[in-house]
Amino acid sequence: MNVLEVKQLSKKFGDFIAVDNITMSVKEGEIFGFLGANGAGKSTAINMIASLLRVTKGEIEVLGKNIAKHSKFAKMNIGIVPQEMAIYEDMTAYENVRFFAGLYGLRGAELKERVIEALAFVGLGDKHKSYPKNFSGGMKRRLNIACAIAHRPKLLIMDEPTVGIDPQSRNYILGSVKKLNELGCTIIYTSHYMEEVEEICTRIAIIDHGKIIAEGTKGQLKAIITNQKNISIEVRSAENLNKSKLEAIAGVNRVEVEDRIVKVTSDSEINNLNRIIQQLMADDLEIRAVEENEPSLETVFLTLTGRSLRDQ
Amino acid sequence: MNVFRIMLKELKVIRDPKMLLFLLVSPLVTMLILGTALTGAFNGSLSVGEINVLYKNNSSASDFSRYWDDFTGQMRQAGIKLEKADEKTDGKTEVKNNRYVGYAEITDSGLEYYSSSQSLIESGIAKSVLTAFADRYRLAAVVAGTDSEQADAIMSGNGSESYVVEESLNATRKPGAMDYFAVAITTMIILYSALTAAQLIDGERKRNTAVRLLASPVTKIEIFTGKLAGLVVLNAILTIIVVLISKYVFNAYWGENLGLAFLILFTEIIFAVSLGLGLSYIIKGNASGTVVMIIIQLAAFLGGSYFPVEEATGFMGALSSLSPLQWSNAALLELIYADNMSATINAMLLNIGFAVVLLGIALTMMRRREGL
Repeated sequence: MNVLEVKQLSKKFGDFIAVDNITMSVKEGEIFGFLGANGAGKSTAINMIASLLRVTKGEIEVLGKNIAKHSKFAKMNIGIVPQEMAIYEDMTAYENVRFFAGLYGLRGAELKERVIEALAFVGLGDKHKSYPKNFSGGMKRRLNIACAIAHRPKLLIMDEPTVGIDPQSRNYILGSVKKLNELGCTIIYTSHYMEEVEEICTRIAIIDHGKIIAEGTKGQLKAIITNQKNISIEVRSAENLNKSKLEAIAGVNRVEVEDRIVKVTSDSEINNLNRIIQQLMADDLEIRAVEENEPSLETVFLTLTGRSLRDQ
Repeated sequence: MNVFRIMLKELKVIRDPKMLLFLLVSPLVTMLILGTALTGAFNGSLSVGEINVLYKNNSSASDFSRYWDDFTGQMRQAGIKLEKADEKTDGKTEVKNNRYVGYAEITDSGLEYYSSSQSLIESGIAKSVLTAFADRYRLAAVVAGTDSEQADAIMSGNGSESYVVEESLNATRKPGAMDYFAVAITTMIILYSALTAAQLIDGERKRNTAVRLLASPVTKIEIFTGKLAGLVVLNAILTIIVVLISKYVFNAYWGENLGLAFLILFTEIIFAVSLGLGLSYIIKGNASGTVVMIIIQLAAFLGGSYFPVEEATGFMGALSSLSPLQWSNAALLELIYADNMSATINAMLLNIGFAVVLLGIALTMMRRREGL
């Protein structure tokens, strides 16, 4: 069963087309990765699904019901974790969750139980009476999630929920996402951290310039670029690297340098490793290790959009 | 139910000590300072000096001289001394030298009066009685052509015995400094709620909580109504506390009809909140707060928050009448000291009328806008 069905969805701001005729679906129980660079149309699409923006053209169905006609039903079944913190600093953690959960019709003992449950779920069970202004970034992020899950939504939209937090909090949140999913919550997850998407998402869509340019499982997406290979060469220092000469070697599609690692994306059918190494040696670079990798989601994204997800 | 929930959330602001200090303590302190410091300016008594008027009667009409002599006699009894000048005396110079409050020169063509700028009240009284005499004589002169007895009757004052009638505008009570500033500061602090109202929706946008509110099964109208109601209730509670403290601790007089006074204040709260909300939609961004602040300051200055403006005339009077605080202050003072209901109703209608217009604008713009 599809929890979400998006049909030929478009959004225009004046003459600018932010979302251009996209069609996609999210099945029950999935963790659906939604990837796109800044300005690609990802947030606009998510905001239309969450009824925060009006639809210019197309249809959105949540649990089989059109959200234009059944707005309240759709909202009751969706939870949203916005990228920016959306909590009241002058209310305690308990009051924040209670207030937002109350808007979904929860009352009395049930409301109290759900609030306690949501706070415990995100690891803030002992912070009921604390004010968010005294929280760390990671704790605020977790409270942001608690506010979105207390009403037990069928579909949870998480827009970059791990931005700017410590690795410990990130691991906690990723664990929570998996646990929520196991409990039956379908999740749409966006992130700038490709490794997170690789780790938790069961299916992924890549949006660029308002259009979905690829959709499928990790394996399906990687299969798009099986004609490519990734070569990582660790050097002592990449200061003298002549990038243009390296790019001029037959078969080389892209060269990127990250600290002391030279990353070369090349056609898999052309055996050019010797020439690449010779060029590096000609640039007087001291080679320490050479590794040929399977294409990653990052490579898929780069190949399809021409830019890195973190270069925004 | 969601409207009520949102309203209750708005009331939680009262837990913020800084906000509470501003909303509750600052009006009471201001009231106390102004009410104590300006006591002398509100003592309610006015002393009038001797009213000596110099005159020259160059009229050739014998009837006039007879009537004039009667008039000077009557005036002497009323405490206004009309003194005849000899030929050599320059009446205007005498007035300039402040020896007389006015100088009247009577000729066949009429009565001319020169008043002293140094004794405005005394001179004004003299001018009033002379004008009354001149008007009466003009009428008598017309009647005398057909009925001389009737003309005599007019000049003797049949039906209106005196040129000077003592009346009292505030028969029972006049506001003292504390009484006045209890009203003026309360209405001013209510207008300050426009500043909070201007941030009411914008605050949700800045905190990003607008996203969560809009994603929940609550309509924009419910959010708007809940937040509006919360601010109105919050200000109503604070106003009641301020009024009661001023009444029972500072002994400010709020009249016999406190319920009606609260009703005027309640309509002003609705107006102030609507003003802030309306302007926050008309003027986007932080500029709305600045505009609201300027409006509050001007309204306070012109509306009598720092000094009484009820007797302002001319340009200042016209400006003053534009201040929403002037409507409420005047209505409250009329209600408290003159039991005047019409001013009360006018102020309430003005407050509610403007509030309806401003809220209408805000609602229309909100419905058109994506998001809150």
